Amino acid sequence: MNIMLKLENVTKIYPGAEHIKAVDELSFDLPEGEICTVVGPSGCGKTTAMKMINRLIPLTSGKIYIDGQNVNRLDTIELRRNIGYVIQNIGLFPNMTIAENIAVVPKMKGWDKNRITERAERLLELINLPPEEFMDRYPRELSGGQQQRIGVARAMATDPPIMLMDEPFGAIDPINRDHLQNEFLRIQDKVKKTIVFVTHDIDEAIKMGDKICLLKAGKLVQFAAPETMLTEPANDFVSDFLGGDRTLKRLNLLKLKAAMRPDPPVIMEEESPEKAKAMLTELKVDNLIVVDAEKRLLGYVNHEALEKEADEVRKVTRPTDSFMPASSSLKDGLSEIFTHDLGYLIVVDDDKKVLGVLNTEDIREILRR
Amino acid sequence: MEARAFSPVLKKLIPVLLTIIIVAGLYKFYGAWAYTTKNLAEFFRLTWEHLVLVIISMAAAVTVGVGLGTLMTRKGFDHLSPAIMGVVNVWQSVPSLGVIALAYGFLPLLGLSGIGVVPALIALFFHAVAPIVRNTYAGIQAVSKDVIEAATGMGMNPKQILFRIELPNALPVIMGGVRTSTAIIVGTAPLAFLIGGGGLGFWIFTGIALMDMGIMVAGAVPVALIAMLADSALARTEKTVVSKGIQAEEYQVAM
Ligand SMILES: Nc1ncnc2c1ncn2[C@@H]1O[C@H](COP(=O)(O)OP(=O)(O)OP(=O)(O)O)[C@@H](O)[C@H]1O
Ligand SMILES: [Mg+2]
Repeated sequence: MNIMLKLENVTKIYPGAEHIKAVDELSFDLPEGEICTVVGPSGCGKTTAMKMINRLIPLTSGKIYIDGQNVNRLDTIELRRNIGYVIQNIGLFPNMTIAENIAVVPKMKGWDKNRITERAERLLELINLPPEEFMDRYPRELSGGQQQRIGVARAMATDPPIMLMDEPFGAIDPINRDHLQNEFLRIQDKVKKTIVFVTHDIDEAIKMGDKICLLKAGKLVQFAAPETMLTEPANDFVSDFLGGDRTLKRLNLLKLKAAMRPDPPVIMEEESPEKAKAMLTELKVDNLIVVDAEKRLLGYVNHEALEKEADEVRKVTRPTDSFMPASSSLKDGLSEIFTHDLGYLIVVDDDKKVLGVLNTEDIREILRR
Repeated sequence: MEARAFSPVLKKLIPVLLTIIIVAGLYKFYGAWAYTTKNLAEFFRLTWEHLVLVIISMAAAVTVGVGLGTLMTRKGFDHLSPAIMGVVNVWQSVPSLGVIALAYGFLPLLGLSGIGVVPALIALFFHAVAPIVRNTYAGIQAVSKDVIEAATGMGMNPKQILFRIELPNALPVIMGGVRTSTAIIVGTAPLAFLIGGGGLGFWIFTGIALMDMGIMVAGAVPVALIAMLADSALARTEKTVVSKGIQAEEYQVAM
């Protein structure tokens, strides 16, 4: 695993504020393709730490390496052109169209016109804004959320391996923010950038981060994967910062796939009701999942359903809504279990093939770990 | 549909027609027409002198004004800016006649002639430069810090930031300054005659001295027309050079 970004005892003391270390001996390694969310109370040094990476703020001491190279040895302008940068307040250039905004870095890098246009169109498609409609608009003709997305697209214009994002979704209402976060994760799944993502929102940090870097008064308190931080907070500050609902946060983070019991007993639709009855008794369960030859979910049968005369299970199968894709969160799964009468949740893949089942006991089990 | 397409043309035409009617009326009523045709060669010479005064002093004011205004926003000069702005503001409150008189009175102290085209140009230039300096400075200062930070973070160098971000975004404000200056110069130019600068002021002041309205109108009306043309030319320039992304909304509607 290649370490893309490495901070080594990075310290910042602002001139004129010598008594405080805005960033104090910060060290961490970020592997290629991962998102590191930097989080902590206001004034803890998040922005300062981030801006030292592209040298918008000079280091007081310590070293920063990108892909093994010390950033202080690189040409500043060149360094910045190779790092995607999204600032908190978007900062689109109002005098330029969307296409021109996206073209800024490619142009400076000397790309030819066709390549730039093609790239801009591709990026707009990626962020779900139709190019023919948006290329020639100006920033003021866009909604806040659309501007935010253009800000991200602009930072990705030359496909930089590293991106720095300072509260990129800070100015957006919770609903659209959630939407943008999901969209961003979907994109990241394809492009696999190494990203430093500053936020003051712990939920966002947990959701977006492969790693969370938690700062307090310039000092690193804990650097860990979200799941690790939730299960093993380093100290009281961390657990306080994570909040009293740490368990619920884990529910949000964990996927059904991680908690389900795989390969549950199922019965094929063309089997006889007698066989179904025998299985119910033998397995000591109340109901059986019915599938087709492809193992796709059809419904379930129980003793009551099997009372009726039929030659095949298919004829007495009852439909159910108590299923969810494996990529859903445990939190959504739990809510679904309580809504339906089956007493458990059937976990399926995108083709509705049965992968496993999950009940409240399984969830309790995984949270205890 | 047709009526709608027709009305903007009409809207533009009405002021033009009105101006022509008023000008023609004035010329006929006061006999300015007869005076102008009788002295056609002189009319062209004075108009030419007048235009030279306006255009040269304007060009100098724009160059120096934008340059100085920009310089004041650069690092290292920023501590001088309040002082310069103070001077600029006081200077702008000196009335036109005062500027002309100062040129006449002060230039000889520097060993230069206080009479002629050059002192007139100097006076006009100094009178017009203030709004441009002020607006350039204010316009660049007003460019959002976020936009500058984004540009820096994306790897633009200071020169690229100035020419691609700061000046283009400050342009509407700078153009506002240029229009104010143009109005000042066009309004002050007739006074240049008083210190031997020539121009249409000659007819205006002669008319006043002889109490001959014909001569005065023959000088005053072209001066007014030049002012109007200059302003509409600037408005048009503004529309083409200022990005659609930052133009005032009214222009958007006109598209
Ligand atoms: N230019 C500066 N000069 C002096 N001190 C500064 C400067 N910028 C930031 N600081 C101080 O450094 C510390 C860290 O600031 P920073 O902006 O990095 O915090 P932050 O974690 O990003 O906060 P927020 O969540 O409010 O954005 C603060 O104490 C701040 O007051
Ligand atoms: Mg900050």
